[in-house]
Amino acid sequence: MQYNGGSIVAMVGKNCVAIASDLRLGNQALTIATDFEKVFPITDRIYLGMAGLATDVLTLRERFRFRVNMYSIKEEREIEPKTLAQLVSSTLYERRFGPYFIEPIIAGLTDSSKGSQPFIASADLIGCLNFAKDFVVVGTAEDKLLGVAEGLWEPDLEPEDLFETISQTLLNAVDRDAFSGWGAVVHVITPDKVITRTLKGRMD
Amino acid sequence: MECQFGLSGNGYVLLAASTTAVRSIVKMKHDQDNIKVLGPQLIMSYSGEPGDTIQFAEYIERNIRLYQIRNFHALRPSSAASWLRRQLADSLRSRNPYAVNILLGGYDNATSKPHLYWMDYLGTLTNQPYAAQGYGSYFVLSLLDRYHNPEASLEEGLETLRRCIDEVEKRLVVSQGKYIVKVVDKDGVRVIEL
Amino acid sequence: MANADGGAYSYSLTVFSPSGKLVQIEHALAAVAQGTTSLGIKATNGIVIATEKKSSSILIDSSMLDKVSIICPNIGFVYSGMGPDFRILVNSARKSAQAYWKMYGEYPPTRVLTQEIASVMQKATQSGGVRPYGVSLLVAGWDANRGPSLYQVDPSGSFWAWKASAIGKNMVNAKTFLEKRYNDDISLEDAIHTALLTLKEGFEGQMTEKTIEIGIITVPELNSFGEQEKEGGETGRPKPAFRKLTEEEVRDYLAL
Repeated sequence: MQYNGGSIVAMVGKNCVAIASDLRLGNQALTIATDFEKVFPITDRIYLGMAGLATDVLTLRERFRFRVNMYSIKEEREIEPKTLAQLVSSTLYERRFGPYFIEPIIAGLTDSSKGSQPFIASADLIGCLNFAKDFVVVGTAEDKLLGVAEGLWEPDLEPEDLFETISQTLLNAVDRDAFSGWGAVVHVITPDKVITRTLKGRMD
Repeated sequence: MECQFGLSGNGYVLLAASTTAVRSIVKMKHDQDNIKVLGPQLIMSYSGEPGDTIQFAEYIERNIRLYQIRNFHALRPSSAASWLRRQLADSLRSRNPYAVNILLGGYDNATSKPHLYWMDYLGTLTNQPYAAQGYGSYFVLSLLDRYHNPEASLEEGLETLRRCIDEVEKRLVVSQGKYIVKVVDKDGVRVIEL
Repeated sequence: MANADGGAYSYSLTVFSPSGKLVQIEHALAAVAQGTTSLGIKATNGIVIATEKKSSSILIDSSMLDKVSIICPNIGFVYSGMGPDFRILVNSARKSAQAYWKMYGEYPPTRVLTQEIASVMQKATQSGGVRPYGVSLLVAGWDANRGPSLYQVDPSGSFWAWKASAIGKNMVNAKTFLEKRYNDDISLEDAIHTALLTLKEGFEGQMTEKTIEIGIITVPELNSFGEQEKEGGETGRPKPAFRKLTEEEVRDYLAL
């Protein structure tokens, strides 16, 4: 988990969710890339982030793209965040005794016909799900993230306030982590649009 | 102990790889070419476990060629990189994985842009303006942070590459000997004598 | 040389006859047409599937006979044709429903399960060394996405969605009857009665709670928040949308 580094956080707001990750890709202490994204869109309103071993992040992105595409073709509808969480969990548990070394975070809104409810969840590397009502964190800075989020997060934040909260949480947490950092990318998902911003942090 | 690095400039990618083959404390060879030409505009440098490197590089070389024969056109750099990554990622979780690290340089005729990919034996893939592998990377990367210019002409790029080689020669305990340098651009692949 | 109507083409089912038919599939349909009548009606607030249960002797304990089967809490099957073939399909449908649950944490939508079972049946028309399934199925299900839906699957593996349909011995008459009686705003209660009336047409012998079987889909009600009842509740099991009527319930419906 510390080989490549990287951290992700997701938070619930008022009718919106946000997910943010750092951009570092390392080889132990050596930084290889400062533009390595770990959060990917699954549908227009669901994002999936993966922290951990970078090769598995890439492999699983392809795997989930395949499975979600097959799902939407077969079912003739978009996958729901809750269902995606189960799918992620089962996919990881399939490799129970030789796991992919990643920890996923799912952030999204439920279908608008079901009221666009915010949804976040995280899991461990073998797919044990953790549904939360406030925020979820994974990655090499997860302990720091948890602490900062605990202090900054409050319920029912509007999209712009949620953006500020999640950005400050991530930037301040990764500043205390040698394996994460080098800027961040933040997605705020609202019922009518997704706001994506790339941030600079302490670039060292 | 081998060292390889690459950088892209205005319309080209340069790859350099040390030519010394070492076994234990003995230098076995001084003229080993660790840069394979995979297509008309695609080159790959490789390092790692001695047996694996050649086996894997040839496997990649022949399969990229096979694709070209079957489909009457070469794979674009991004597609070649994805396929190569998949080979390494699958190999990693097989019974005997290849331990090969790769730099892939290519020129995409469709977009008229050079591409450089960094890849390790785990299947970690990233597209970079400059990249390095081996012990040399600890010196070279910071140097390239300072001197790399994406708009540099080939001459300027080669100048930067020379700086890199000199730096490794100066700071690394083990001498790397000579380097082989190849460039890929809109005109194809050439070997460059430094 | 094989005789019967298909000639040399009637045995190897992977070979088309010159007229473009796979004769074994037609034979399978004939087996279905010999089976007891089954029917399904989709109502505004649910679905009813019903069948005639015939035993060859009065000594048979008819409570053992199961022609309407629960696949998962939201889907049920009924069939016409060969009982043993049906059990194989029920088994594989149940397995596939559980596999779906394992993957997605919810039971499959009706359409997905129908497709799955249709592809099992199609495989039996193209693989070597097997024969097609001698059954037609009626699949009744409910899911949050499409609401209640009723499908028919044939031995060829083709399937359609119906508002009402009948299969088996009396299917032609039953369908004509249903066409006359069906309307788009029929309620589940009315649909059950229509189902019984349809079965009665051409029913041999006495129609009692022992000689028919009924399964119903009831649309789960919304709670005060306008949401579907929370899946699982205390027990972790979803509230079933599909259930079989008990003999008592059937008797009450027959008495009306």
